[in-house]
Amino acid sequence: MKAKHLVWIRRLTQAIFLIVFVLLLIESRLPQDVYMDYSAALTAEQDIELNYPVTFFFQIDPLIWLTSVVSGHQWIKGFGWALGIVVLTLFFGRFFCGFICPFGTIHHLMSYVKPALKGQGIIKANQKRPDQKYKYLILILFLAASLLGLNFTGLLDPMAFLFRSLSLAVFPGLGTGIKEIFDLMAQSDIKIFNYISYTGEVIVSPVFGYGYKAFQSAWLIGILFLIILLLNRIRPRFWCRTLCPLGALLGIFARFSVLRLEKYPDKCTECQLCITACQGAASPVPDQEWEPAECMFCFNCFNACPENAISFKLRWPPTVNKPPDIGRRVVLGSLVGGVSLSLFGKLDGRIHKVSDARLIRPPGSLPEKDFLKLCQRCGLCMKVCPTNVINPTLSEAGMAGFWTPNLIMIQGYCEYTCTLCGSVCPTGAIQHLSAKEKIENPVRIGSAHIDRGRCLPWSGNGPCIVCEEHCPTSPKAIHLKKEVGLSPDGETVRVELPYVDLKRCVGCGICEYKCPVMGKPAIQVIAAGESRSINNLILLS
Amino acid sequence: MDNHHITRRESIKKLLKISGGLALTNLAAWPLPKDLIASPASTNEKFVVEGIGQSHGYAIKALIRKVFEAAGGIEKFVSRQDVVAVKPNISWARAPHLAATTHPEVLEAVIELCQEAGAKKVVVADHTIHDARRCFAITGAGMVAKKTGADLVYPRSSLMREMKLQGHRLNVWPVFVPLIEADKLINLPIAKVHVLSGLTLGMKNWIGAVGGRRNALHQDIHMTVVDLAQFFKPTLTLIDAIRIMVHNGPSGGSASDVSVSNRLILSNDPVAADAKAATLFDIRPEDIGFIHLGNKWGLGTYEFQKIRHNKVII
Repeated sequence: MKAKHLVWIRRLTQAIFLIVFVLLLIESRLPQDVYMDYSAALTAEQDIELNYPVTFFFQIDPLIWLTSVVSGHQWIKGFGWALGIVVLTLFFGRFFCGFICPFGTIHHLMSYVKPALKGQGIIKANQKRPDQKYKYLILILFLAASLLGLNFTGLLDPMAFLFRSLSLAVFPGLGTGIKEIFDLMAQSDIKIFNYISYTGEVIVSPVFGYGYKAFQSAWLIGILFLIILLLNRIRPRFWCRTLCPLGALLGIFARFSVLRLEKYPDKCTECQLCITACQGAASPVPDQEWEPAECMFCFNCFNACPENAISFKLRWPPTVNKPPDIGRRVVLGSLVGGVSLSLFGKLDGRIHKVSDARLIRPPGSLPEKDFLKLCQRCGLCMKVCPTNVINPTLSEAGMAGFWTPNLIMIQGYCEYTCTLCGSVCPTGAIQHLSAKEKIENPVRIGSAHIDRGRCLPWSGNGPCIVCEEHCPTSPKAIHLKKEVGLSPDGETVRVELPYVDLKRCVGCGICEYKCPVMGKPAIQVIAAGESRSINNLILLS
Repeated sequence: MDNHHITRRESIKKLLKISGGLALTNLAAWPLPKDLIASPASTNEKFVVEGIGQSHGYAIKALIRKVFEAAGGIEKFVSRQDVVAVKPNISWARAPHLAATTHPEVLEAVIELCQEAGAKKVVVADHTIHDARRCFAITGAGMVAKKTGADLVYPRSSLMREMKLQGHRLNVWPVFVPLIEADKLINLPIAKVHVLSGLTLGMKNWIGAVGGRRNALHQDIHMTVVDLAQFFKPTLTLIDAIRIMVHNGPSGGSASDVSVSNRLILSNDPVAADAKAATLFDIRPEDIGFIHLGNKWGLGTYEFQKIRHNKVII
């Protein structure tokens, strides 16, 4: 096969996988076609499930698979794909980086379209550098920390990083901008603007989300994403070469690749076109030794060489290739780093002593200790949540739980019969429940309490039963007691005072969300009482 | 078209039916005084029609048709080329059998009637409490919209427009636009108990037709409900009391909260409709604050016995 054809096959594959990634990201929402047959709904509660395999890109990610096995000791459904990628890597090196990885494709595009460097600049930038070791450092650090029970992988795993950045920052950011324009048009007195606004929103909302989406600390996620993209201006595919822990993992397996770059130094005219085109800084020039752990099999060098001095060939039986350039100091340093990170990460006492009252995990979440072994902070649960209640944490879960999901009840609430978050969690940190299991067990995510100083009837400021009205359990977990109180003017007023029944409260937070005392509602949900934790229960049985 | 050939016997039967029917109506019409004939045709006359489904396994749709026929036919209220807005109560993401939301068959039947009357477009709109897409799915409203081709509007902030209500309690409030832009408005609530207002019926259904700080309305629920009902003034109110929620309202959530009543109440008087429905709960209408206030401020009458009062049983 000609080199040109290989390059085009690669581009096509990259484009397909990137498009599929974005489409699956968009489909990670309450299904559009949720119109169920109500004759079935008449007899039983039905679960709404997603129609597309939105976790596919997480399932083909060997790093997520490996760290989940190491830390959580579980074989997660669907991760046979990841194993398949590992096996293929043994034969074809880091083809995943060159052909499949959507984040890699974005970097490739950033470096390829309008490159920042030219001539000698790009030749210098594409030389293999010692700092390409850092990715191994990050990989070993994550593996060591996973072994000790804190799985930080999702912070820098390319699938989790890309999904989180796009779904929590880029898409909602664009969506907010567009929605502001539509709202402005809707307020106009010109009829055609109203019409465009309405039609436009109908088209745009399914992609960017309904209403104004909010994700705490999304600005940080967005800025980091931009910085990582702009690093491609310093060196092409900076992330893939220097930072990506998945790239490092696959690089190690590339040691045995049977697909190899063969060099014919006598044909070489030292034109250095191969280096100019190289994406991985993998030393394609015939007078240097090829770096299989850095090569992403983009076939650019093969295509660029005018003299046929280099060529990709399958060599059988396999020989052991040049080992990845890791170095003892990197291994030792990263081990020390990983071990200390996981030990220091538990020093805030949130796992072993008491958790933060504001840390409310999605329904079906594992106990905190196991949760942190599996959660990839990918943002899938946050993206899919129809009420926008699930947010990435900043400090609520401590350093160890940075960007893990947390329910912020002033921003949304957990719908009583909704189980979407658990149905999409790629690693099972949030278990997949049915609506029936969620209601009948019941799965409690916290408990509500009333602040009598702010509550309207309790403080004598007037009638209000909004929390009771919205309480979804049957019988209701909020009950009212009739009372005659004194208004601030000294008049007697008949009010109904709300009380929380802890036996019935599931902590869904709709009371907090709907309370007329905004910002800091008079009824609030805290994590105490959550059924996932034995230590955090309140009642005896 | 079906390819069924009409036999001679059938055609004779049909002819007899048509001619006989015509003859009967003529016969019936002829000896009666003129004003009695004319009265059902006038839209201003107040009426309450109560439909009761007594036979086992009766069709809800058939009952609705009967109820509308008794009221003078849908054509009396919906003209050709009208845009009709229907306001069901689909506020909760609850399955229909839990009686937290308007029964999908009721919704479907009303949409079909409007379409048969030649409505240009039927718009279904409710500003839901739970996430609207989940409500559309689980209440069956989405399915109905898909089946009938009615326009099910997703409540969005750009569709809430501040309007002067000029009520006794509420002055300016954001209103759900599709409900006020239509030519005809049909209120399609479900009857439920409610801890603060006593009952959730037709007038209270208008809380689902506005935006803004709805959770503050509870501080003066009866007056605000009447203000909203006065602003929206529906052409018709059809209260779904096929199943009524008698405990744990308005959200319910358990089949034990539901009682089967097999009734529908249709009226062009919002207060009379609610008053009639209140009796299903063994509550005196005047004891419900908003019914009392609605009567007081001239929105309608709770003495439904004093207006034309029909009963349809199938």
